[in-house]
Amino acid sequence: MKLITAIIKPFKLDDVKEALKGAGITGLTITEAKGFGRQGGHTELYRGAEYNVDFLPKIRLEMVVASAEEADRVRDVLATAARTGKIGDGKVWITEVDSLLRIRTGELNDDAI
Amino acid sequence: MSDPIEGENDAVVTLDRATLFADQSLAGLPLCRAYSDLMDRWLAALFDQAGAPPGVSLLAVGGYGRAELSPQSDIDLLLVHEPKVDVAKVADRLWYPIWDENLKLGHAVRTAKDALALASDDLDTATALLSIRHLAGDRGLTADLHDKAHALWRKRAKRWMTEMSRRVRDRHGAAGEVAFLLEPDLKEGRGGLRDVHAIHWAEQAESVMFEGDDAALAEAYDVLLSARVELHRRTGRAGDRLLLQEQDGVAEALGYDDANALMRAVSTAARTISWTGDEVWSRIDSSLGGPSSIRLRRDKKLASGVILREGTVQLTADADPGADPLLALRVAVAAAAEDVRIERRSLDRLAAVGLPNPFPWSADARQLFADLFFAGPRAISVIEALDQRGLWGQLLPEWTTVRCKPQRNAYHTYTVDRHLCEAAVNAGQLIDRVDRPDLLVVGTLLHDIGKGYPGDHTVVGVDLVAAIGARMGYAPDDIAELQAMVRHHLLLPDVATRRDITDDGTIEMVATTVGTERTLRLLAALTEADSKATGPAAWNTWKAELVESLVMRTAHVLGGGVVSEVSLETFPTDEQLALMAQRQQVIDCRDDSLVVISPDRPGLFSRVSGVLSLSGLDVLDAAAYTNNDGMALEMFHVESTASPIIPWDRVVRDLELALTGRLALAARLEERARVYSRPRVLPHGPVKPRVEFDTELSRHATVVEVHAPDAIGVLYRITRAIAELELDIRSAKVHTLGHEVVDSFYVRDQQGEKPTDPALLAELERAILHALIS
Repeated sequence: MKLITAIIKPFKLDDVKEALKGAGITGLTITEAKGFGRQGGHTELYRGAEYNVDFLPKIRLEMVVASAEEADRVRDVLATAARTGKIGDGKVWITEVDSLLRIRTGELNDDAI
Repeated sequence: MSDPIEGENDAVVTLDRATLFADQSLAGLPLCRAYSDLMDRWLAALFDQAGAPPGVSLLAVGGYGRAELSPQSDIDLLLVHEPKVDVAKVADRLWYPIWDENLKLGHAVRTAKDALALASDDLDTATALLSIRHLAGDRGLTADLHDKAHALWRKRAKRWMTEMSRRVRDRHGAAGEVAFLLEPDLKEGRGGLRDVHAIHWAEQAESVMFEGDDAALAEAYDVLLSARVELHRRTGRAGDRLLLQEQDGVAEALGYDDANALMRAVSTAARTISWTGDEVWSRIDSSLGGPSSIRLRRDKKLASGVILREGTVQLTADADPGADPLLALRVAVAAAAEDVRIERRSLDRLAAVGLPNPFPWSADARQLFADLFFAGPRAISVIEALDQRGLWGQLLPEWTTVRCKPQRNAYHTYTVDRHLCEAAVNAGQLIDRVDRPDLLVVGTLLHDIGKGYPGDHTVVGVDLVAAIGARMGYAPDDIAELQAMVRHHLLLPDVATRRDITDDGTIEMVATTVGTERTLRLLAALTEADSKATGPAAWNTWKAELVESLVMRTAHVLGGGVVSEVSLETFPTDEQLALMAQRQQVIDCRDDSLVVISPDRPGLFSRVSGVLSLSGLDVLDAAAYTNNDGMALEMFHVESTASPIIPWDRVVRDLELALTGRLALAARLEERARVYSRPRVLPHGPVKPRVEFDTELSRHATVVEVHAPDAIGVLYRITRAIAELELDIRSAKVHTLGHEVVDSFYVRDQQGEKPTDPALLAELERAILHALIS
């Protein structure tokens, strides 16, 4: 099982959600996050005091899928939907899940996805 | 005005940093400039391709503006445009390729007016604009901004100087001294690169430097910048701390003989920058202070040819350094005593004339020289001023060898020359303890002078002091006294911390070596002055008490008394003897000492020390005693490394288990060592363990001295080895110097005699060394 984590621009959430639904993702968790990358948190490219590094609002998504192949597929769908081509689009990464439990039923691992 | 070209001219403009950085023939400053040139060309090409309309220019700011690019530096750029010019696409075509090159970009897009508006309120923006450099585009626009930025800077000079002065001080407090730290912060530290920037910015507001300052600063700056560039190149990361593990590599890349030579150059450069900075900022602070009572006071005469005016010590207009060779010394003493700086022009006048060679050392001259150290802590910066201007070296030619010489271990913080000055000034505060204050301060000033030469610094120092003392005109008896101070400057601290000062043989040795009460008192004051000037760990209550106790006993013997008459505390006390007679196991702990009474057995000492180590306690010293009934008494004086509170409950619990053989000490100590130890890089490599014996010093026991790297459980392992050879520990001293420990033991065999058999001692050495390796 794999955990897919993504950081995206907030206004892209709806696009990404639709795309993921189309890709077969049935469960998703989102959190409001703050972050910055190489552009140094500049809100606009064309203004701003030189020495500020501010955190920009982002959305973090997390979802678990059954296999590495599926993880790669979902990742690409997500990235395509989230991309604007402008700086600050975010990142996606994939990590291993050791075990998964559905609380209500007690189902484990693949059955819990 | 044509629109920017879109989609055309998409030829990829490449930046090849890897080849440049791999070129070993380029190092330090030349690499820095070459990288900057490469970046200039690439950015100019990008700008061309971006198709900017007129009225736009690309500027380098900050370090890049100064054409100083270290391999890991940020690229700081400013895109300036006339109002109403649309630069959005141009900006995209510049910033994206830079980000995609994995470069760290600091960027801003502004009209000249906006830039100046920001600069009028923000110091960082204002100084950034002082360093702008045209890269591409409209030169007129750049020149205009440059001129206006400088005019604005000068206009706001007073406000900016005040803020900069405060920032400089804060930064120094946080980052430490470049000249003295083992791993200095080359940029932010006191005497570092930032200090030079600050001085130059101040200079652009108003003239603050004196003739020659700029050249001296430039040379020092290059040394530090080169080191920083190579540091970046080697570590592949940004960062300005010249780490110990990088010093060898940086030294090699820049062509220094070794890391010591590199650090000496760094220290020298930092000293020049610090001193020039101090001078500049004190002048600025004083002029910012405005007319004040200090400045309106009348001149105060301090000595012949020397006055106090406007808060600094100056020469009178008619003072003639050429005709009056002691004038420089009088100025120095006056400045130190008044706790003010020497006025720069007076200092330069003195330096221009210089001191006569040979210097006419008279009784007056010697007195003035000593007075300098009686005057207090200000003497240090006064001597720095004299040294920076070459005068100190004319007074003491031997100073050249110790100037800025680093002492590269964790124990010492200062370079040799600064350590000597600090020690001498410390000694100047202790003159009431001796009958010859002048010998005290001079002897202290010279005690490590031999460190500038190869060989044993004590032996070399003794010879040097003979020459210096003769040159200064001291009487032969006085010279002998100074030599004794140098020869024995380590005697008292070494014996106090590594030997049993209740042992009569030991005290007799010290008394014989020292010879007279006068020498003893001089050495005692020197010991305290030297230790305090070495580093924060070098002098504490424990050491002070031991030295005082040693001095007292030695003085008693020198006065014709017998050691045993000096009973400060008897060991064991009657109370303890009574407890021992009861044949019960007793564990008593209070404050910072532990007393254990138990049936005697081999390895008792080592078990107790192991338990103490398990609770994070360091043993400072220990003593042991056995009565005729087979009961042993051991007393440990401890210090907690982890927390301020000593966890006695835990110690007692572990001890009860250990004494009855129910604790796997070795295993637990190893576990603790694994958890708490961190690999350390040391300037001279790991400490090589060694064992030394002295079978002569004490009548009752053999002295075993072990040098080893500091680690958890060292004392346990050494004493276990001693127990294996069935030797009894009578007393122990543990002294930590940086990363090394010196553990000294007075041992006896099972018959109560001192072991002298060379074969036995060889076995003991073998056992101890083995115990230390594992």
